[in-house]
Amino acid sequence: MNIDLILHVLQDAFPAETLEPQAMPINETFVALPPASIYLAAQILVERFGLRHLSTITGQDTGSEIELLYHFWDGRGLTLRTSLPREEPHIATLVNLIPGAAFYEREVSEMLHVTFDGHPDPRTLLLPDDWDGGAPLINE
Amino acid sequence: MLDLTDACHTLVRWARRKSPWALHFNTGGCNGCDIEILDLLTPRYDVERLGILKEASPRHADVLLCTGPVTRQSRDRLRRIYEQMPAPKWVVAVGSCSCSGGVFRDGYNVLGGIDQVLPVDIYVPGCPCRPEAIIEGLVRLLETIE
Amino acid sequence: MTRVTIPIGPQHPALKEPLSFLLTVEGEQIMESALRIGYVHRGLERIFQNRSYLQNVHVVERICGICSHIHTTAYCQAVEALLGLEIPPRALYLRTLLCELERIHSHLLWLGVLAEHIGFTTIFMYAWRDREIVLDIMEELSGGRVAHAVNVIGGVRIDLDQEHVHSILQRLDELERQVETFLGVVQHERTLQARTRGVGHLSAEQVRRYCVVGPVARASGVDVDLRRDAPYAAYASLDFQVITAEEGDVWARTMVRALESIESLHICRQLLQQLPEGPLTVRASRRVPPGEVVSRCEAPRGELVYYIRSDGSDRPARVKVRTPTLTTLITLPDQLRGVNTADVPTVLSGVDLCIACADR
Repeated sequence: MNIDLILHVLQDAFPAETLEPQAMPINETFVALPPASIYLAAQILVERFGLRHLSTITGQDTGSEIELLYHFWDGRGLTLRTSLPREEPHIATLVNLIPGAAFYEREVSEMLHVTFDGHPDPRTLLLPDDWDGGAPLINE
Repeated sequence: MLDLTDACHTLVRWARRKSPWALHFNTGGCNGCDIEILDLLTPRYDVERLGILKEASPRHADVLLCTGPVTRQSRDRLRRIYEQMPAPKWVVAVGSCSCSGGVFRDGYNVLGGIDQVLPVDIYVPGCPCRPEAIIEGLVRLLETIE
Repeated sequence: MTRVTIPIGPQHPALKEPLSFLLTVEGEQIMESALRIGYVHRGLERIFQNRSYLQNVHVVERICGICSHIHTTAYCQAVEALLGLEIPPRALYLRTLLCELERIHSHLLWLGVLAEHIGFTTIFMYAWRDREIVLDIMEELSGGRVAHAVNVIGGVRIDLDQEHVHSILQRLDELERQVETFLGVVQHERTLQARTRGVGHLSAEQVRRYCVVGPVARASGVDVDLRRDAPYAAYASLDFQVITAEEGDVWARTMVRALESIESLHICRQLLQQLPEGPLTVRASRRVPPGEVVSRCEAPRGELVYYIRSDGSDRPARVKVRTPTLTTLITLPDQLRGVNTADVPTVLSGVDLCIACADR
């Protein structure tokens, strides 16, 4: 992975964003983008750089917002970070670009009540059919 | 340390009159106890020589070997499997998770041990259980039946 | 021909763990399938937030009984990175030794289960009998056959002397002869070939689209292995091959796992023969400074990912775990399409599912 080239191309594609690239353990770079830019950024990674391996999507409640982390990997890691508002968090699905994202989005959806717009199969993945306990990973 | 010789003699005497067929169901466990139960069938432990057969259908089973804590998703299936077993029938909770929920007992999707749902006859603790402990549990069960 | 829907599971002889399927069949052929997991969902990621980093080593080990050590490896590695610790070489070698012994036991376990599902009970019995060699070694080293508690945050809590090294090397030689026998069977036994060749096929393109990892990916010609591509623990010092195949079917996956087991035996020998002297742990503080980490390891089933966020306390703010089985589960509807119902157990066995890992 030529991380410098990728960061350069992403900065060109999103001139208004600061990206805030951060080196993280272990052999990772984290880059921040607004939710509306995530699909295009992923498209650049997949189509321009052949960076097709999405390890997983982490969702977390940081207290002030719902944060999503898209963990890409190709010899080293590149994570796209984005923040969603706590009220009705939603973001475009990546499934048509990366079919392997389907389960990861379903899990973030049921755990944090994030809607992935356009997901072809938004059933719960792990929670039982009669679950009535709210979003397990939301901190009340 | 379990003296297998004595246990075997007891079991063989009992097995001559009745050979327990065991059905195994994992209600939410990590697989640690499951692979040790499966190990019972393999050459080192070989419980088949004691008459214990692993059964595929609840309708042919005498003993239900449970592993894992009961998760919400598993609860109804566990009950239904037990109901499908013809009487007389017994339940053995194998491993700390089936005894009490184990390390997962405060999980939001975990109801606790098997006895939250079914009457348990024998509890075999361990995380995971050793094959010797499972055999000991089965021997104790068969002694109580006599 | 009319279509019939058959529910399978969660309790079924073909399934070693609870999950359920709805198979839509026309005659004997599967047209579509839908998967339902979550029977083993214990809510681990929430449980982790209620425990200290120290307590979580014990919990993480119990996500899965088959690959317990790689979970604690990925977890401890993550926390050690947040603490900025440098782990002593002897500890890394011993940590790696358990990783490879675990890979061997997992692959032998899997080989036996696949054989049993095909009706080849003899191989099941032999594989599990020989697997006891590995379990004995792991028990001697750690006190546990299945859960070993070898990793601590800061290193390992086991050690061994030269006599023990010698004894283990002898038994690994014996085990290698056995695995070579299984390899011979896989390569030449006609029933096994007939039941596994062409079954459950996945192309390299499907592997990339679904982000599949591990032996299933490698069996379709996708050459990825974290031990070589992003070495962790002691792997940077070791010499080994990454095994791939081109056929992308259950037979190819069987070959890959059998050859990987032999490669793991070679790695174990190197680790034992080149074991460096030195301490086994470094001191690790209970509180972890604020930070984030992504830790990846090559589990027996493929890429295992841990993301941890720390907030300065002695408890993690977030632990996210992505296990390799999730990447192969998603391919099952594709693999099952067009397959005969009699081959369902073979297809399921071919991917080496670990539902406890997937559900957490």
